[in-house]
Amino acid sequence: MTGMFFSYIPGNSLLHRLDPRSKIIGIMLASILIFRAMSVYEMLAIGVVFSILFLLSSTTVKAVYSSVYPMRIILIFIFTIHLFFTEGSSILSVFGMNISYEGLLKGSTVTLRFIYLLMFASLLTSSTPSSLITVGIERLLRPFPLKVLGISSFDLAAMMSMSLYFVPLLHGSFNDLKDAQLSRGLDMKRHPFKAMYSLTVPMIRVAFRMADDLAMSMESRCYQGVHRTSIFDLRFGRMDFLCISIFGLLSAIIFFMPVLQDF
Amino acid sequence: MSIDIKNLIFSYNRSTSLEKHALNDVSLSIKKGDFVLISGEVGSGKSTLIKHMNGLLKPCSGSVEVDGIPTHKKDIRSKVGMLFQFPQKQLFGKTVDEDISFGPANFGIKGNQLKKQVHEAMDLMFLDESIASVSPFDLSGGQMRLVAMAGVLASKPDYLILDEPASGLDAKNRKILFSILKKLNSKGISIIVVSHQISDVLPLVDRLFLIDSGKIVFKGSPDEYLRSTNLYLPDIPWIMKELHDRGFDVKFDIFDIDEAFYEVSSLLNPQKVDEQ
Ligand SMILES: Nc1ncnc2c1ncn2[C@@H]1O[C@H](COP(=O)(O)OP(=O)(O)O)[C@@H](O)[C@H]1O
Ligand SMILES: [Mg+2]
Repeated sequence: MTGMFFSYIPGNSLLHRLDPRSKIIGIMLASILIFRAMSVYEMLAIGVVFSILFLLSSTTVKAVYSSVYPMRIILIFIFTIHLFFTEGSSILSVFGMNISYEGLLKGSTVTLRFIYLLMFASLLTSSTPSSLITVGIERLLRPFPLKVLGISSFDLAAMMSMSLYFVPLLHGSFNDLKDAQLSRGLDMKRHPFKAMYSLTVPMIRVAFRMADDLAMSMESRCYQGVHRTSIFDLRFGRMDFLCISIFGLLSAIIFFMPVLQDF
Repeated sequence: MSIDIKNLIFSYNRSTSLEKHALNDVSLSIKKGDFVLISGEVGSGKSTLIKHMNGLLKPCSGSVEVDGIPTHKKDIRSKVGMLFQFPQKQLFGKTVDEDISFGPANFGIKGNQLKKQVHEAMDLMFLDESIASVSPFDLSGGQMRLVAMAGVLASKPDYLILDEPASGLDAKNRKILFSILKKLNSKGISIIVVSHQISDVLPLVDRLFLIDSGKIVFKGSPDEYLRSTNLYLPDIPWIMKELHDRGFDVKFDIFDIDEAFYEVSSLLNPQKVDEQ
């Protein structure tokens, strides 16, 4: 079984009832805002938007937390890199490396952006089954002339749904493996290198085996990659129009916040 | 010296909407030297229960003690070896020797003692010394399984827990596995086998625990189990018991189809069987 890492939590909240396309558009808008945000005010505003959406969903703090927490190593890495390698006025010196004020600011901003992205993504995944996310993306991509590039929106959707399908499987395999190595006395703190090694080598084998099995079963079922209809019927309702409009308006306000401040 | 579990309650994803009660007021005790079987349907909580015995999971309430040490206070993993389903998946070493050394080395064993324990574990698993320097991934599936088992035994655990060890094995290899377990048990190691299949293992064990929806519904000897009136029995002992209960003179602690055949045919035609 898997933990709560980006997993779907059944429910009947407003976010659950929205069309997946609305939520995907919403996430895209939010991502644009997040990557543009520089000032404390913008960051705060995004935090407020998140809180509102959070309250409209039946997601728990724990679910959001358990989507961000496993990424802590990467987040710390991003923060540290910016901290040490940004030019600027030095405020502190550690191990002969300078920490600049600019570095601290940039590190915090970039890290917070990633945290926000993870948080918004967890809102989407906790309120939408992955099959519906895929259908939603496929429908949104359909009007684009992807054929020119030799791919179809259906190919992309199939690839995505497979990747999403693998996340909980790999997560489960990883937990099983971790249990097995912990039982053999694995100590992450005392021997971090050996720990990494004893977990990654079997994990890579497992992942390749799974991919192999999947490829084999697709081939034996004559998978052609042609377009197929979906069993999920998407309905863009009145509520969707309303929510997207409000969210779009909010986004526009935050987007133009830096400009407005100049007046 | 024993594993003592008292009033153990455990749920996954506690205090979230995904909360799942897995164990409900489980109490049991397994002494050093015991050979026990824990059985129950898929999803009944067997794996959850054994993960408490070496501290992979900590009780939500109640206590789990190994030789008097609570598992939430101190690391007891060197005492309790755990072999999961399809253990060959845990192999990672560049050589068989490196992989088998992983466990004991983690528990602080070094030098000649380490070499000795690895050697002994390989011996127990009928692994030839010549494969020690081979990559485990070049071995056959069956040999990989033996290497993984040696990797757990090399730490010289006092208790050995095996989760569904027979899954994916054919009848012949199952027999070999159980004879190995019997041998280990005669050396004083407690063996705790988890299996949803009862017939294979029951003839070997001293005690049986049946678990259903996170509750222990039976504890006792195989004999008490076979004499019970309200429990589900595997096909062969069930048929024999029905015959016995209807007044036929047959043994009913039988799991083997050949033995059952012998019993029944001796009922039908006593002389002929005696002549054979
Ligand atoms: N990591 C987990 N997260 C949530 N629920 C779990 C997890 N592992 C097991 N469960 C649930 O706990 C119950 C007992 O599972 P388990 O101990 O694996 O049973 P068994 O080993 O007897 O098949 C099952 O209903 C299962 O779905
Ligand atoms: Mg199990």
